Amino acid sequence: MTKDLITIDRRVTLKWLMGAMAVGQLAACGDQAKGLSWPEMEAIKAAGIGKDPDFTNIATPWPLTMTQAELETTAELVDLILPGEGDIPAPSKVGVPAFINEWVSAPYPDQHKDRVLIINGLKWLDDESKVRNGVPFIRAEARAQTAILDDIAFKDRVKEGLDKPAAFFARMRSLTLGAFYTTREGWADIGYMGNTPGTGDYAGPTPEAAAHIKGVIEAMGLNYTPA
Amino acid sequence: MTPEDPHDAVVVGSGAGGAMAAWMLTKAGASVLMLEAGRDYSPDESPMLNMAMDAPLRGVGTPDKEFGYYDATVDGGWSMPGEPYTMAEGSEFMWWRSRMLGGRTNHWARNSFRMGPYDFKPKTRDGLGYDWPVSYEDMAPWYDRTEKLVGVYGSNDGLENHPNSGPGVLQPPPKFRVWETFLKAGGDAINVPVVAARRAIITKKIDERSPCYWASGCGRGCSIGAAFQTTTSLIPWAKKTGKLTIATGAMVYEVLLDTSGKATGVRYIDKATGTHKEAKGRVVVLAASTGETARILLNSQVPGRSEGLANSSGQVGRNLMDTVGSNISAWFPQLEGRPRYNEDGAMGLHAYIPFWDYKRIQSGEVDTPRGYHVEIGGSFGDPGMGVGSGLDGYGSSLRADVKRRYGARIGFTQRGEMIPNANSFCSIDTNTKDKFGIPVLKFNFAWADHELKQVKHFQNAMKELIDKLGGTLVSEPADPAKAISKGGEIIHEVGTARMGADARDSVTNQFGKTWDVDNLYITDGSVFASKAHKNPTITIMALAMRSSDNIATRLRTGEL
Repeated sequence: MTKDLITIDRRVTLKWLMGAMAVGQLAACGDQAKGLSWPEMEAIKAAGIGKDPDFTNIATPWPLTMTQAELETTAELVDLILPGEGDIPAPSKVGVPAFINEWVSAPYPDQHKDRVLIINGLKWLDDESKVRNGVPFIRAEARAQTAILDDIAFKDRVKEGLDKPAAFFARMRSLTLGAFYTTREGWADIGYMGNTPGTGDYAGPTPEAAAHIKGVIEAMGLNYTPA
Repeated sequence: MTPEDPHDAVVVGSGAGGAMAAWMLTKAGASVLMLEAGRDYSPDESPMLNMAMDAPLRGVGTPDKEFGYYDATVDGGWSMPGEPYTMAEGSEFMWWRSRMLGGRTNHWARNSFRMGPYDFKPKTRDGLGYDWPVSYEDMAPWYDRTEKLVGVYGSNDGLENHPNSGPGVLQPPPKFRVWETFLKAGGDAINVPVVAARRAIITKKIDERSPCYWASGCGRGCSIGAAFQTTTSLIPWAKKTGKLTIATGAMVYEVLLDTSGKATGVRYIDKATGTHKEAKGRVVVLAASTGETARILLNSQVPGRSEGLANSSGQVGRNLMDTVGSNISAWFPQLEGRPRYNEDGAMGLHAYIPFWDYKRIQSGEVDTPRGYHVEIGGSFGDPGMGVGSGLDGYGSSLRADVKRRYGARIGFTQRGEMIPNANSFCSIDTNTKDKFGIPVLKFNFAWADHELKQVKHFQNAMKELIDKLGGTLVSEPADPAKAISKGGEIIHEVGTARMGADARDSVTNQFGKTWDVDNLYITDGSVFASKAHKNPTITIMALAMRSSDNIATRLRTGEL
């Protein structure tokens, strides 16, 4: 044990020390992890898609960067954002956490901004949960998890001082919905019925859809004249 | 024949203007060498039925592929490594390049609105800008021939300054979708027309091309040939004559002249070997794009002159215009939860709003001199990464919100006319060269008050329409100066070698023949004398067809 400690590099020890100080600060400011900073991160330097990608061999060339712990917290969070319902799977069951990993690891400016927000945000979630519940976010009780989300998830009632975590949550929500609703399971849920080549003329609205809009238009006192 | 052999015609560029010239000339029996700066390309490369889920980052735009992963544009975009362009202090301009066989026709929206009588004689009508040397009546038969050849769907509605096509020219348009019929009901009530759009997409089989199969975004390229691009039509047709030679990777930078001032060919860099080569022809046709054509002319050396080639008028590079663009979108509670069905259709406009307010412009009730049209979108599509925009909260209520709002938002996109102005032009930046050592273009660009007032007209008109239909704006539109697009952003840049009736103030005559060089022609958007609100490609092709007919005649009679 002693030997291990001695061989640890001084930088790591310092990091521990600062961590301990941070926890001290957290404890000192009551029930919130508001003392945390959201440090800028170094831009990822990796190969991108390029100007002329090979469509016969579609690949995501950059290495994935999220840790196992970050992926687990992400899975927990995306499933809280859009829980599975009946036959509709939860986002973690259709690859949404892996997509978020791909997204935050991409070597592009927009994704870099999201990476800073998301990696820091995931850390905030854990720190906040530790302060409030004594355990990381994924091990907190469901009610304790939603209590945290309730402070950051609604734009008109973000708890004071939590603007950054709220921005993080909004971005995660947007990425989760985008990633989920572009899967076949998401299509089934939302009712996207396209990408199905047909022959002959375009079929146009179904009788049900046409009858519906006719009713809507006429109820507004306007004329229904389909073309 | 090989690129080293002298040809009847050397055509620079393979997009709308270049490919039309190549087809018309080879069809007339002339041998043509087509030089394309980019690589060989066919939309057979396009993964037509792949979806966002199959692409990195769900296919969103990146600095590598700005219009998304599947966009047909390869080796191009707003920025290209080693091939910069510069901007004057205080100017912002965006220049989209598609360095590939077929150029920008591989990814365009296929919107094909022909210009009308007012559009060809704008100065006569309101005293602003510049008249074309051709009238609508001159152009009408060429539009008919072009539309018939290309395959354009649409309807003849007999609207002011939106001319009908000839009998049997148009392909039948696809049915309106629910939200388009909804908009039409609102438009009818306030006298704003909502009519069938015109797009270069075939709905009935012609030649070897298949009709639209009602799926697959057109911007990724259409391997079945339904959505028009030169790589599935004009270029293969020209090849079939046995008269076309194509050299790709050929970056043209200069027109060659003999001692009498006649063009003898062009000089280019063969990108594969880095060597400088010459291509020889009896006639040279520039169709390299509005920016590149101006650049070639300005970079060409003419003994005893400093202003470049074909520029005795001083108009080369001047009169740079783009389409006026701005956007508004709104939620319509009446469309929430509407019954689902397949709304992919032709993957773009079935309906649009042509400009309607000409009478009030003439009477002075409207304070902007020129019009616009409105492109609209609101279909049930692949939800995409933006599906959560504007939503709040989490959990089952969030799911309900997503589903309720799907297909209930309509976007309105202004596409308007810009009047040429003295502050918008391109010139050679003598301090900057690209990786080939060719001096680059420098852009100056500024909108004028006319365009800003037009944005205001659009905003007010759309608010009235949205209000009539019980909609609510997603956000209040910004002040026109902020809401208006950047120069070049709509990728409709035209005008840098305008045609005119007088050699003193224009670069070419009505057939795209440069006034200064009898055997040098231009068939791309640079010859536009004005920038009507109508998307330019169909007009580029109609003009290129007419000009090429003139070239073919002159080749045949030995005049060239």
